[in-house]
Amino acid sequence: MYKFLLFLLLVPLAAAQNLRLAAAADLQPVLPPILAQFENQTHIHIDASYQSSATLATQIQNGAPFDLFMAADFSFPQRVISEGLADADQPVAYARGTLVLWTRNDSPFRQLSVDTLKDPAMKTLAVANPEHAPYGRAAEASLKKLGLYDQLKPKFVIAENIAQTAQYVDSGNAQAGLISLTSALSERLHANGHYVEMPADSYPPILQGAVVLKNSGHRTEAHQLLDFLLSPAVGKQFAARGLEPPH
Amino acid sequence: MDIRALWLTLRLASVTTVLLLCVAIPLSYWLAFGKARWRPIVEAVATLPLLLPPTVLGFYLLILLGPRTAPGRMLIRLTGHPVAFSFAGLVIGSMIYSLPFAVQPITSGFTALSSDVLDAARLLGAGNFRILAEVVLPLTLRSILTAAVLCFTHTVGEFGVVLMIGGDIPGSTRTLSIAMFDQVQDFRYREANHTALLLLAVSLVALIIVYGWRKQVRHA
Repeated sequence: MYKFLLFLLLVPLAAAQNLRLAAAADLQPVLPPILAQFENQTHIHIDASYQSSATLATQIQNGAPFDLFMAADFSFPQRVISEGLADADQPVAYARGTLVLWTRNDSPFRQLSVDTLKDPAMKTLAVANPEHAPYGRAAEASLKKLGLYDQLKPKFVIAENIAQTAQYVDSGNAQAGLISLTSALSERLHANGHYVEMPADSYPPILQGAVVLKNSGHRTEAHQLLDFLLSPAVGKQFAARGLEPPH
Repeated sequence: MDIRALWLTLRLASVTTVLLLCVAIPLSYWLAFGKARWRPIVEAVATLPLLLPPTVLGFYLLILLGPRTAPGRMLIRLTGHPVAFSFAGLVIGSMIYSLPFAVQPITSGFTALSSDVLDAARLLGAGNFRILAEVVLPLTLRSILTAAVLCFTHTVGEFGVVLMIGGDIPGSTRTLSIAMFDQVQDFRYREANHTALLLLAVSLVALIIVYGWRKQVRHA
Protein backbone atom coordinates (compact mmCIF):
# COMPACT_ATOMS: atom_id res chain seq x y z
CA MET A 1 0.00 0.00 0.00
CA TYR A 2 2.60 2.56 1.00
CA LYS A 3 4.71 1.57 -1.98
CA PHE A 4 1.79 2.59 -4.14
CA LEU A 5 1.56 5.88 -2.24
CA LEU A 6 5.24 6.50 -2.74
CA PHE A 7 4.78 5.78 -6.43
CA LEU A 8 1.95 8.30 -6.61
CA LEU A 9 4.07 10.92 -4.88
CA LEU A 10 7.25 10.45 -6.86
CA VAL A 11 6.17 9.76 -10.42
CA PRO A 12 5.58 13.37 -11.46
CA LEU A 13 9.01 14.59 -10.36
CA ALA A 14 10.52 13.06 -13.46
CA ALA A 15 8.28 15.09 -15.74
CA ALA A 16 8.41 18.35 -13.81
CA GLN A 17 11.29 19.88 -15.75
CA ASN A 18 9.17 21.71 -18.33
CA LEU A 19 9.47 25.48 -18.75
CA ARG A 20 6.57 27.18 -16.97
CA LEU A 21 5.00 30.13 -18.70
CA ALA A 22 2.56 32.51 -17.02
CA ALA A 23 0.74 34.10 -19.95
CA ALA A 24 -1.92 36.80 -20.07
CA ALA A 25 -5.30 35.52 -21.23
CA ASP A 26 -5.20 37.51 -24.50
CA LEU A 27 -2.34 35.22 -25.57
CA GLN A 28 -4.45 32.07 -25.29
CA PRO A 29 -5.69 32.26 -28.90
CA VAL A 30 -2.21 33.25 -30.15
CA LEU A 31 0.53 31.34 -28.40
CA PRO A 32 -0.16 27.58 -28.63
CA PRO A 33 0.98 27.07 -32.26
CA ILE A 34 3.95 29.43 -31.73
CA LEU A 35 5.03 27.57 -28.59
CA ALA A 36 4.76 24.32 -30.55
CA GLN A 37 7.27 25.70 -33.09
CA PHE A 38 9.66 26.56 -30.25
CA GLU A 39 9.25 23.09 -28.75
CA ASN A 40 10.02 21.51 -32.13
CA GLN A 41 13.13 23.61 -32.62
CA THR A 42 14.60 23.36 -29.14
CA HIS A 43 12.96 20.28 -27.57
CA ILE A 44 12.24 22.45 -24.55
CA HIS A 45 8.71 21.69 -23.43
CA ILE A 46 6.48 24.43 -22.13
CA ASP A 47 3.57 24.36 -19.71
CA ALA A 48 1.51 27.50 -20.18
CA SER A 49 -1.02 28.87 -17.72
CA TYR A 50 -3.39 31.51 -19.17
CA GLN A 51 -5.03 33.88 -16.69
CA SER A 52 -5.49 37.58 -16.09
CA SER A 53 -2.23 39.49 -15.65
CA ALA A 54 -3.20 40.45 -12.09
CA THR A 55 -3.96 36.86 -11.08
CA LEU A 56 -0.63 35.67 -12.46
CA ALA A 57 1.30 38.50 -10.78
CA THR A 58 -0.36 37.68 -7.45
CA GLN A 59 0.47 34.00 -7.87
CA ILE A 60 4.10 34.86 -8.62
CA GLN A 61 4.25 37.10 -5.54
CA ASN A 62 2.93 34.18 -3.49
CA GLY A 63 5.57 31.79 -4.75
CA ALA A 64 4.15 30.24 -7.93
CA PRO A 65 7.05 28.52 -9.71
CA PHE A 66 6.89 30.23 -13.11
CA ASP A 67 9.93 30.83 -15.33
CA LEU A 68 8.60 33.52 -17.66
CA PHE A 69 5.75 36.00 -17.13
CA MET A 70 4.12 37.52 -20.21
CA ALA A 71 1.62 40.12 -19.08
CA ALA A 72 -0.90 42.12 -21.09
CA ASP A 73 0.53 45.42 -19.82
CA PHE A 74 3.56 46.90 -18.05
CA SER A 75 2.17 47.51 -14.56
CA PHE A 76 1.93 43.85 -13.51
CA PRO A 77 5.45 42.83 -14.57
CA GLN A 78 6.64 46.02 -12.90
CA ARG A 79 4.92 44.93 -9.70
CA VAL A 80 6.81 41.64 -9.90
CA ILE A 81 10.06 43.54 -10.50
CA SER A 82 9.48 45.86 -7.54
CA GLU A 83 9.06 42.82 -5.29
CA GLY A 84 12.52 41.74 -6.39
CA LEU A 85 11.23 38.64 -8.16
CA ALA A 86 12.41 39.34 -11.71
CA ASP A 87 15.90 39.11 -13.20
CA ALA A 88 15.66 42.50 -14.99
CA ASP A 89 14.74 46.00 -13.83
CA GLN A 90 12.47 46.73 -16.79
CA PRO A 91 9.90 44.51 -18.52
CA VAL A 92 10.64 43.69 -22.17
CA ALA A 93 7.94 45.02 -24.49
CA TYR A 94 6.93 42.21 -26.82
CA ALA A 95 3.63 43.33 -28.35
CA ARG A 96 0.84 45.88 -28.35
CA GLY A 97 -2.77 44.79 -27.98
CA THR A 98 -5.86 46.15 -29.71
CA LEU A 99 -9.30 46.55 -28.12
CA VAL A 100 -12.32 45.67 -30.25
CA LEU A 101 -16.09 45.62 -29.92
CA TRP A 102 -17.35 42.18 -30.90
CA THR A 103 -20.80 40.70 -31.37
CA ARG A 104 -22.26 37.45 -32.65
CA ASN A 105 -23.53 37.31 -36.23
CA ASP A 106 -27.03 36.53 -34.94
CA SER A 107 -27.16 39.58 -32.66
CA PRO A 108 -29.44 42.54 -33.56
CA PHE A 109 -26.39 44.70 -34.31
CA ARG A 110 -25.66 44.20 -38.01
CA GLN A 111 -23.42 47.17 -38.70
CA LEU A 112 -21.05 47.48 -35.79
CA SER A 113 -19.57 50.87 -34.98
CA VAL A 114 -18.78 52.80 -31.84
CA ASP A 115 -22.31 54.22 -32.12
CA THR A 116 -23.68 50.71 -31.56
CA LEU A 117 -22.72 51.25 -27.93
CA LYS A 118 -25.33 54.07 -27.75
CA ASP A 119 -28.09 51.81 -29.13
CA PRO A 120 -30.83 51.39 -26.48
CA ALA A 121 -31.23 47.79 -27.75
CA MET A 122 -27.84 47.06 -26.20
CA LYS A 123 -28.75 45.57 -22.83
CA THR A 124 -25.57 43.73 -21.84
CA LEU A 125 -21.92 44.41 -22.60
CA ALA A 126 -19.16 42.02 -21.53
CA VAL A 127 -16.09 43.75 -20.13
CA ALA A 128 -13.02 42.29 -18.44
CA ASN A 129 -12.50 43.20 -14.79
CA PRO A 130 -10.54 46.49 -14.94
CA GLU A 131 -8.78 45.64 -11.69
CA HIS A 132 -7.35 42.37 -12.99
CA ALA A 133 -7.20 42.62 -16.75
CA PRO A 134 -5.33 45.28 -18.75
CA TYR A 135 -7.91 45.01 -21.53
CA GLY A 136 -10.60 45.72 -18.95
CA ARG A 137 -8.66 48.79 -17.92
CA ALA A 138 -8.42 49.85 -21.57
CA ALA A 139 -12.15 49.27 -22.05
CA GLU A 140 -12.95 51.46 -19.05
CA ALA A 141 -10.60 54.20 -20.27
CA SER A 142 -12.02 54.06 -23.79
CA LEU A 143 -15.65 54.28 -22.69
CA LYS A 144 -14.82 57.18 -20.35
CA LYS A 145 -13.02 59.02 -23.14
CA LEU A 146 -15.99 58.49 -25.47
CA GLY A 147 -18.37 59.73 -22.76
CA LEU A 148 -20.27 56.42 -22.69
CA TYR A 149 -19.06 54.98 -19.41
CA ASP A 150 -21.85 56.16 -17.11
CA GLN A 151 -24.69 55.06 -19.38
CA LEU A 152 -23.09 51.66 -20.10
CA LYS A 153 -21.86 50.78 -16.64
CA PRO A 154 -25.18 49.27 -15.47
CA LYS A 155 -25.09 47.01 -18.54
CA PHE A 156 -21.64 45.58 -17.82
CA VAL A 157 -21.18 41.84 -17.50
CA ILE A 158 -17.79 41.60 -15.80
CA ALA A 159 -15.50 38.68 -16.64
CA GLU A 160 -12.38 37.67 -14.77
CA ASN A 161 -10.02 37.97 -17.75
CA ILE A 162 -10.16 38.82 -21.44
CA ALA A 163 -10.52 35.21 -22.65
CA GLN A 164 -13.53 34.76 -20.38
CA THR A 165 -14.96 38.07 -21.68
CA ALA A 166 -14.88 36.64 -25.19
CA GLN A 167 -16.47 33.45 -23.90
CA TYR A 168 -19.35 35.41 -22.31
CA VAL A 169 -20.23 37.10 -25.63
CA ASP A 170 -19.69 34.05 -27.81
CA SER A 171 -21.95 31.96 -25.57
CA GLY A 172 -24.67 34.62 -25.86
CA ASN A 173 -24.49 35.60 -22.20
CA ALA A 174 -23.78 39.17 -23.26
CA GLN A 175 -24.95 40.83 -26.48
CA ALA A 176 -21.61 42.41 -27.23
CA GLY A 177 -18.23 42.63 -25.61
CA LEU A 178 -15.06 44.67 -25.49
CA ILE A 179 -12.49 41.99 -26.17
CA SER A 180 -8.98 41.61 -27.52
CA LEU A 181 -8.33 41.56 -31.25
CA THR A 182 -6.50 38.26 -30.61
CA SER A 183 -9.79 36.68 -29.51
CA ALA A 184 -11.78 38.30 -32.33
CA LEU A 185 -9.34 36.83 -34.88
CA SER A 186 -9.45 33.35 -33.37
CA GLU A 187 -10.99 30.73 -35.61
CA ARG A 188 -14.11 30.33 -33.53
CA LEU A 189 -14.97 33.99 -32.98
CA HIS A 190 -14.07 34.84 -36.55
CA ALA A 191 -16.66 32.32 -37.74
CA ASN A 192 -19.33 33.29 -35.19
CA GLY A 193 -19.26 37.05 -35.25
CA HIS A 194 -17.82 40.35 -36.37
CA TYR A 195 -15.94 43.21 -34.76
CA VAL A 196 -14.94 46.85 -35.02
CA GLU A 197 -11.77 48.28 -33.51
CA MET A 198 -12.25 50.82 -30.74
CA PRO A 199 -10.66 54.18 -31.65
CA ALA A 200 -6.93 53.81 -30.90
CA ASP A 201 -6.76 57.29 -29.34
CA SER A 202 -9.53 56.50 -26.84
CA TYR A 203 -7.35 54.35 -24.57
CA PRO A 204 -3.69 54.26 -23.53
CA PRO A 205 -1.72 51.77 -25.66
CA ILE A 206 -1.94 48.20 -24.36
CA LEU A 207 1.81 47.71 -24.29
CA GLN A 208 2.54 44.16 -23.22
CA GLY A 209 5.65 43.40 -21.16
CA ALA A 210 7.45 40.22 -20.18
CA VAL A 211 9.96 39.35 -17.46
CA VAL A 212 12.04 36.28 -16.68
CA LEU A 213 11.65 35.36 -13.03
CA LYS A 214 14.59 35.35 -10.70
CA ASN A 215 13.67 32.18 -8.83
CA SER A 216 13.32 30.23 -12.06
CA GLY A 217 15.54 27.19 -12.31
CA HIS A 218 15.49 27.57 -16.11
CA ARG A 219 16.52 31.16 -16.72
CA THR A 220 18.62 30.33 -19.78
CA GLU A 221 15.73 28.51 -21.42
CA ALA A 222 13.29 31.24 -20.37
CA HIS A 223 15.49 33.87 -22.08
CA GLN A 224 15.75 31.60 -25.09
CA LEU A 225 11.95 31.51 -25.31
CA LEU A 226 11.67 35.27 -24.82
CA ASP A 227 14.26 35.90 -27.58
CA PHE A 228 12.35 33.55 -29.84
CA LEU A 229 9.11 35.46 -29.17
CA LEU A 230 10.86 38.75 -29.97
CA SER A 231 12.16 37.48 -33.32
CA PRO A 232 10.78 39.11 -36.51
CA ALA A 233 9.36 35.78 -37.70
CA VAL A 234 7.23 35.44 -34.58
CA GLY A 235 6.40 39.15 -34.76
CA LYS A 236 4.75 38.51 -38.12
CA GLN A 237 2.69 35.68 -36.68
CA PHE A 238 1.71 37.89 -33.74
CA ALA A 239 0.56 40.61 -36.16
CA ALA A 240 -1.53 38.13 -38.15
CA ARG A 241 -3.22 37.08 -34.91
CA GLY A 242 -3.97 40.51 -33.51
CA LEU A 243 -0.83 41.64 -31.68
CA GLU A 244 1.02 44.63 -33.15
CA PRO A 245 4.76 45.12 -32.71
CA PRO A 246 5.44 47.10 -29.51
CA HIS A 247 7.14 50.15 -31.08
CA MET B 1 -9.38 14.74 -22.36
CA ASP B 2 -6.43 16.25 -20.54
CA ILE B 3 -4.59 13.06 -19.52
CA ARG B 4 -2.10 14.86 -17.29
CA ALA B 5 -4.94 16.53 -15.41
CA LEU B 6 -6.68 13.18 -15.05
CA TRP B 7 -3.54 11.53 -13.66
CA LEU B 8 -2.87 14.45 -11.34
CA THR B 9 -6.44 14.37 -10.05
CA LEU B 10 -6.28 10.64 -9.36
CA ARG B 11 -2.94 11.04 -7.58
CA LEU B 12 -4.22 13.94 -5.51
CA ALA B 13 -7.43 12.18 -4.55
CA SER B 14 -5.65 8.90 -3.63
CA VAL B 15 -2.89 10.50 -1.58
CA THR B 16 -5.36 12.81 0.17
CA THR B 17 -7.73 9.95 1.00
CA VAL B 18 -5.04 7.69 2.50
CA LEU B 19 -3.41 10.45 4.55
CA LEU B 20 -6.76 11.81 5.66
CA LEU B 21 -7.94 8.42 6.93
CA CYS B 22 -4.77 8.20 9.04
CA VAL B 23 -5.73 11.52 10.67
CA ALA B 24 -9.50 11.05 10.76
CA ILE B 25 -9.64 7.62 12.41
CA PRO B 26 -7.86 8.60 15.66
CA LEU B 27 -9.60 11.98 15.65
CA SER B 28 -13.02 10.36 15.23
CA TYR B 29 -12.20 7.83 17.96
CA TRP B 30 -11.44 10.67 20.31
CA LEU B 31 -14.58 12.56 19.23
CA ALA B 32 -16.78 9.49 19.70
CA PHE B 33 -15.37 8.20 22.99
CA GLY B 34 -13.39 11.07 24.48
CA LYS B 35 -14.66 12.91 27.51
CA ALA B 36 -12.84 16.25 27.22
CA ARG B 37 -14.98 19.32 27.77
CA TRP B 38 -13.69 21.12 24.68
CA ARG B 39 -14.73 18.26 22.41
CA PRO B 40 -17.57 20.31 20.80
CA ILE B 41 -15.00 22.93 19.83
CA VAL B 42 -12.81 20.36 18.09
CA GLU B 43 -15.87 18.88 16.43
CA ALA B 44 -16.92 22.32 15.19
CA VAL B 45 -13.45 23.05 13.81
CA ALA B 46 -13.35 19.65 12.10
CA THR B 47 -16.73 20.35 10.48
CA LEU B 48 -15.93 23.94 9.53
CA PRO B 49 -14.57 23.21 6.02
CA LEU B 50 -18.03 21.92 5.13
CA LEU B 51 -19.56 25.39 5.56
CA LEU B 52 -16.60 27.64 4.92
CA PRO B 53 -16.28 29.20 1.45
CA PRO B 54 -13.35 27.44 -0.26
CA THR B 55 -11.86 30.86 -0.98
CA VAL B 56 -11.52 31.59 2.75
CA LEU B 57 -9.63 28.36 3.27
CA GLY B 58 -7.60 28.95 0.11
CA PHE B 59 -6.70 32.46 1.20
CA TYR B 60 -5.39 31.45 4.62
CA LEU B 61 -3.49 28.51 3.17
CA LEU B 62 -1.94 30.78 0.55
CA ILE B 63 -0.78 33.14 3.27
CA LEU B 64 0.43 30.30 5.47
CA LEU B 65 2.20 28.27 2.78
CA GLY B 66 3.53 31.11 0.62
CA PRO B 67 6.72 33.15 1.00
CA ARG B 68 5.02 36.12 2.67
CA THR B 69 4.81 34.78 6.22
CA ALA B 70 7.27 33.24 8.67
CA PRO B 71 5.72 29.73 8.63
CA GLY B 72 5.63 29.84 4.84
CA ARG B 73 9.30 30.87 4.62
CA MET B 74 10.21 28.11 7.07
CA LEU B 75 8.44 25.58 4.85
CA ILE B 76 10.31 26.94 1.84
CA ARG B 77 13.60 26.44 3.67
CA LEU B 78 12.61 22.90 4.60
CA THR B 79 11.29 21.81 1.22
CA GLY B 80 13.40 23.98 -1.07
CA HIS B 81 10.39 25.48 -2.82
CA PRO B 82 7.16 27.26 -1.83
CA VAL B 83 4.52 24.74 -0.78
CA ALA B 84 1.79 26.89 -2.31
CA PHE B 85 1.47 26.14 -6.05
CA SER B 86 2.88 22.64 -5.63
CA PHE B 87 1.40 19.17 -5.35
CA ALA B 88 2.22 19.04 -1.63
CA GLY B 89 0.29 22.28 -1.13
CA LEU B 90 -2.72 20.80 -2.90
CA VAL B 91 -2.55 17.71 -0.66
CA ILE B 92 -2.56 19.88 2.47
CA GLY B 93 -5.44 21.99 1.13
CA SER B 94 -7.44 18.92 0.09
CA MET B 95 -6.93 17.22 3.45
CA ILE B 96 -8.37 20.18 5.29
CA TYR B 97 -11.10 20.72 2.72
CA SER B 98 -12.25 17.08 2.84
CA LEU B 99 -11.75 16.57 6.59
CA PRO B 100 -15.47 16.67 7.48
CA PHE B 101 -16.21 14.07 4.79
CA ALA B 102 -13.91 11.67 6.62
CA VAL B 103 -14.67 12.59 10.23
CA GLN B 104 -18.47 12.68 9.97
CA PRO B 105 -19.13 9.11 8.72
CA ILE B 106 -16.39 7.58 10.86
CA THR B 107 -17.52 9.35 14.03
CA SER B 108 -21.13 8.34 13.49
CA GLY B 109 -20.00 4.76 12.79
CA PHE B 110 -18.04 4.74 16.05
CA THR B 111 -20.88 6.33 18.02
CA ALA B 112 -23.33 3.71 16.76
CA LEU B 113 -21.24 0.89 18.25
CA SER B 114 -22.89 -0.80 21.21
CA SER B 115 -21.12 0.26 24.39
CA ASP B 116 -21.42 -3.35 25.64
CA VAL B 117 -18.84 -4.46 23.09
CA LEU B 118 -16.40 -1.77 24.15
CA ASP B 119 -16.96 -2.42 27.85
CA ALA B 120 -16.39 -6.12 27.30
CA ALA B 121 -13.11 -5.44 25.52
CA ARG B 122 -12.02 -3.07 28.25
CA LEU B 123 -12.96 -5.57 30.99
CA LEU B 124 -10.82 -8.15 29.22
CA GLY B 125 -7.93 -5.74 29.61
CA ALA B 126 -7.55 -4.30 26.11
CA GLY B 127 -5.98 -0.83 25.83
CA ASN B 128 -7.29 2.00 23.65
CA PHE B 129 -5.11 1.14 20.69
CA ARG B 130 -6.03 -2.53 20.79
CA ILE B 131 -9.74 -1.74 21.13
CA LEU B 132 -9.50 0.56 18.08
CA ALA B 133 -7.52 -1.89 15.94
CA GLU B 134 -9.20 -5.16 16.87
CA VAL B 135 -12.75 -4.25 17.86
CA VAL B 136 -13.81 -0.84 16.59
CA LEU B 137 -12.24 -0.82 13.11
CA PRO B 138 -13.46 -4.27 11.99
CA LEU B 139 -16.98 -3.43 13.19
CA THR B 140 -17.07 -0.03 11.47
CA LEU B 141 -15.30 -0.95 8.25
CA ARG B 142 -18.26 0.23 6.20
CA SER B 143 -18.21 3.73 7.73
CA ILE B 144 -14.51 3.94 7.00
CA LEU B 145 -14.95 2.84 3.41
CA THR B 146 -17.79 5.36 3.06
CA ALA B 147 -15.46 8.04 4.38
CA ALA B 148 -12.79 6.97 1.90
CA VAL B 149 -15.16 7.10 -1.07
CA LEU B 150 -16.54 10.51 -0.02
CA CYS B 151 -13.05 11.96 0.54
CA PHE B 152 -11.83 10.70 -2.79
CA THR B 153 -14.82 12.07 -4.68
CA HIS B 154 -14.87 15.37 -2.85
CA THR B 155 -11.18 15.87 -3.64
CA VAL B 156 -11.75 15.01 -7.30
CA GLY B 157 -14.43 17.71 -7.44
CA GLU B 158 -12.51 20.41 -5.60
CA PHE B 159 -12.19 23.74 -7.39
CA GLY B 160 -11.96 26.88 -5.27
CA VAL B 161 -9.18 25.80 -2.94
CA VAL B 162 -7.12 24.36 -5.81
CA LEU B 163 -7.49 27.53 -7.85
CA MET B 164 -6.39 29.71 -4.92
CA ILE B 165 -3.43 27.74 -3.65
CA GLY B 166 -2.50 25.85 -6.81
CA GLY B 167 -3.22 28.24 -9.65
CA ASP B 168 -3.44 26.45 -12.94
CA ILE B 169 -0.05 24.89 -13.64
CA PRO B 170 -0.24 22.00 -16.10
CA GLY B 171 1.10 18.76 -14.64
CA SER B 172 1.48 20.02 -11.10
CA THR B 173 -1.70 21.81 -10.02
CA ARG B 174 -4.12 21.70 -12.97
CA THR B 175 -6.71 19.16 -11.81
CA LEU B 176 -9.66 18.03 -13.93
CA SER B 177 -12.04 20.66 -12.60
CA ILE B 178 -9.51 23.42 -13.35
CA ALA B 179 -8.77 21.93 -16.78
CA MET B 180 -12.48 22.04 -17.49
CA PHE B 181 -12.67 25.70 -16.49
CA ASP B 182 -9.82 26.31 -18.94
CA GLN B 183 -11.47 24.35 -21.72
CA VAL B 184 -14.65 26.43 -21.43
CA GLN B 185 -12.67 29.66 -21.42
CA ASP B 186 -10.82 28.50 -24.53
CA PHE B 187 -14.05 27.51 -26.36
CA ARG B 188 -13.17 23.81 -26.31
CA TYR B 189 -16.75 22.91 -25.41
CA ARG B 190 -16.53 19.32 -26.67
CA GLU B 191 -13.51 18.64 -24.46
CA ALA B 192 -15.19 20.44 -21.56
CA ASN B 193 -18.21 18.23 -22.06
CA HIS B 194 -16.10 15.07 -21.88
CA THR B 195 -14.40 16.26 -18.70
CA ALA B 196 -17.75 17.25 -17.20
CA LEU B 197 -19.28 13.85 -18.00
CA LEU B 198 -16.36 12.07 -16.38
CA LEU B 199 -16.63 14.20 -13.22
CA LEU B 200 -20.38 13.64 -13.15
CA ALA B 201 -19.93 9.88 -13.51
CA VAL B 202 -17.33 9.74 -10.71
CA SER B 203 -19.63 11.56 -8.28
CA LEU B 204 -22.69 9.51 -9.21
CA VAL B 205 -20.89 6.17 -8.98
CA ALA B 206 -19.41 7.16 -5.61
CA LEU B 207 -22.85 7.98 -4.22
CA ILE B 208 -24.35 4.77 -5.59
CA ILE B 209 -21.58 2.80 -3.86
CA VAL B 210 -22.17 4.60 -0.57
CA TYR B 211 -25.96 4.17 -0.66
CA GLY B 212 -25.57 0.57 -1.82
CA TRP B 213 -23.58 -0.15 1.32
CA ARG B 214 -26.18 1.50 3.50
CA LYS B 215 -28.93 -0.73 2.04
CA GLN B 216 -26.88 -3.82 2.77
CA VAL B 217 -26.39 -2.71 6.34
CA ARG B 218 -30.11 -2.26 6.82
CA HIS B 219 -30.88 -5.71 5.39
CA ALA B 220 -28.19 -7.43 7.39
